[in-house]
Amino acid sequence: MSAEIDIRNLTKRYGGLTVLDDISLSIAAGEFVVFLGPSGCGKSTLLRMIAGLEDVDAGEIHLGGDRIDGLAPGKRGVAMVFQSYALYPHMSVRQNMAFGLENVGISKDEIERRCMDAAKVLEIDHLLDRKPQMLSGGQRQRVAIGRAIVKEPKAFLFDEPLSNLDAALRGRTRLELAQLHQRLGATMVFVTHDQIEAMTLADRIVIMHDKKIEQIGAPMEVYQRPATRFVAEFVGSPAMSILPAASVSAGTKGASIEVDGVGTIDSAIPLPEGFNADGASVGIRAEDTRPSDTGLPLTVQVVERLGDRTLLYGRLPNGSDLVAQDLGRTTVQAGDEVRIAVDPSAVHLFDGTGRAFHAPEEA
Amino acid sequence: MSAAAPISRDQGRILFWLAVVLSVLMLAPMAWVLLLSFTENEALSRGTEAAFGGHFTLKNYSDIAGNSGVFRWFLNSLIVAVGQTSGVLIMSSLAGYAFARLEWPGRKVIFVIVLFGLAVPEQAVIIPRHQIFTTLNLHNTYIGLMLPGMSLPFGVFLMTQFFRAIPSEIDEAALLDNASRFRIFWKVLLPLTLPAQATLGIFTFLMAWNDYWWPLISGTDKEMYTLTIGIASSQVNFAQTEGLGFLAAQAVFAAIPVLIVYIIFQRHVVTAVSGGAVK
Repeated sequence: MSAEIDIRNLTKRYGGLTVLDDISLSIAAGEFVVFLGPSGCGKSTLLRMIAGLEDVDAGEIHLGGDRIDGLAPGKRGVAMVFQSYALYPHMSVRQNMAFGLENVGISKDEIERRCMDAAKVLEIDHLLDRKPQMLSGGQRQRVAIGRAIVKEPKAFLFDEPLSNLDAALRGRTRLELAQLHQRLGATMVFVTHDQIEAMTLADRIVIMHDKKIEQIGAPMEVYQRPATRFVAEFVGSPAMSILPAASVSAGTKGASIEVDGVGTIDSAIPLPEGFNADGASVGIRAEDTRPSDTGLPLTVQVVERLGDRTLLYGRLPNGSDLVAQDLGRTTVQAGDEVRIAVDPSAVHLFDGTGRAFHAPEEA
Repeated sequence: MSAAAPISRDQGRILFWLAVVLSVLMLAPMAWVLLLSFTENEALSRGTEAAFGGHFTLKNYSDIAGNSGVFRWFLNSLIVAVGQTSGVLIMSSLAGYAFARLEWPGRKVIFVIVLFGLAVPEQAVIIPRHQIFTTLNLHNTYIGLMLPGMSLPFGVFLMTQFFRAIPSEIDEAALLDNASRFRIFWKVLLPLTLPAQATLGIFTFLMAWNDYWWPLISGTDKEMYTLTIGIASSQVNFAQTEGLGFLAAQAVFAAIPVLIVYIIFQRHVVTAVSGGAVK
């Protein structure tokens, strides 16, 4: 039983400090939405407000059409998985899963059925009589998810649930979460600062920064067509290289961007009318570059071999850093001077306020 | 911080013998009392060296069984110690939870006021307390004996710190599990404080069992004597007692519950004394 979440003009303050400012967002029933942003951007606060663990200073939260921001956490119809799992240490796995159901007066038979069903789905049915301290991190994580599943909530809330797992287990659990979402078809809201988790799990990503939502979009939309310079720099690894634009003029196919001491970068971006080049910058992703006979002069400082491709970390004559990409079997070495060509259709232009401009999408 | 250097074999030997000497010094008075308790009073009246003279007897213990006063004092001590311990545990847990977890006006100020209680010596309040208890007719009652010891600032402080150490996400998970505040306290948080409760309980029990000062003032009726007062009164009227062996047997008898409590909860006592350094 999944339900849509509708957040309207939500504001949160701690004393005089505003941590969320007039946030509005709609999440469709059954959608997997990830709140992504750096530490302190307010993403966890927003999730906790949906859960009822933080008061709402202004605005409304609706779940399945019902306003819930005035309800106690347990009455909202949501279940939450915490970063630390927050299992009850003195209770067995079964008791942990059953506790929430006992509190709402569900019959023992029904509790046992739901616990067994969830335990089988999560493959923890052999652990039901163990205490949390007898479980590994991954198993505890599953119990925490099981505790959420048995409640059959209208929406699942995840607060950085993979942060405490090692890299291998994190990857596996990520996949299992995606499968779980497909199987349950439930509305899921997931908070993370890890962009790989966001890119791989989300139907839509909500990028948050400085109390506001910067962009809402599908993972590839956010990656390829970032709305702002912040999003462009935050999403993607390695991060997008940003070079200061001295001037921007209309070229043959699009904007022609002059970078001081480096040269001109041609783009396919239609130059916006009245574009102000003050504080403007140009963004280039590593995969949109390649070594060439002509292009930007780059002094390579570090060569990072990833097998299928090689990343070249270097410096341009104006002192700006640039990350370029070459073939896996490249012979370029640290200290070499190379020329880097940039795909004009993949160049991003930002004005002084950080607003982004892109080449038109290919039909 | 560098790790402590391992001790050499010679240092270890010195420490071992130092421990042996200290143990003997600590245990000797207890062994002496135990020895006296199994020695005939008549022989002891001629000199305490009789304890080594083979005048072994169980009569002193059988006399305790025949002396209803001692049993009465024992029962009084048990009621007061158990009652006081229960009171301290209940009040300290509730207060600790309220100070650590609930938001209410004046919380910080009242917590500081409670902590001030740690700095007030009992002697400073004994006269006003005596007058209040006289007015309320609480002297020579069990409540009167227990009540002052139940307000234990240290207990409130200990439990507050322990509740604070429990991650707040546990409470939040329980809130999302639709548990009421009391159910969260009773079913989720209180069981997690059991180690602290055990420590606090043991110390309160031992303190109440060995208390002399307040029972001396409040329990003046012989029927309301606790063991400490009862045994002390026997010693004051030494001429009327059956002798030194009997007094020693009373002391051993009085120590038995404490010994049992210590043996059962030894691990928690060690943990408490070492300030949580021993896991």
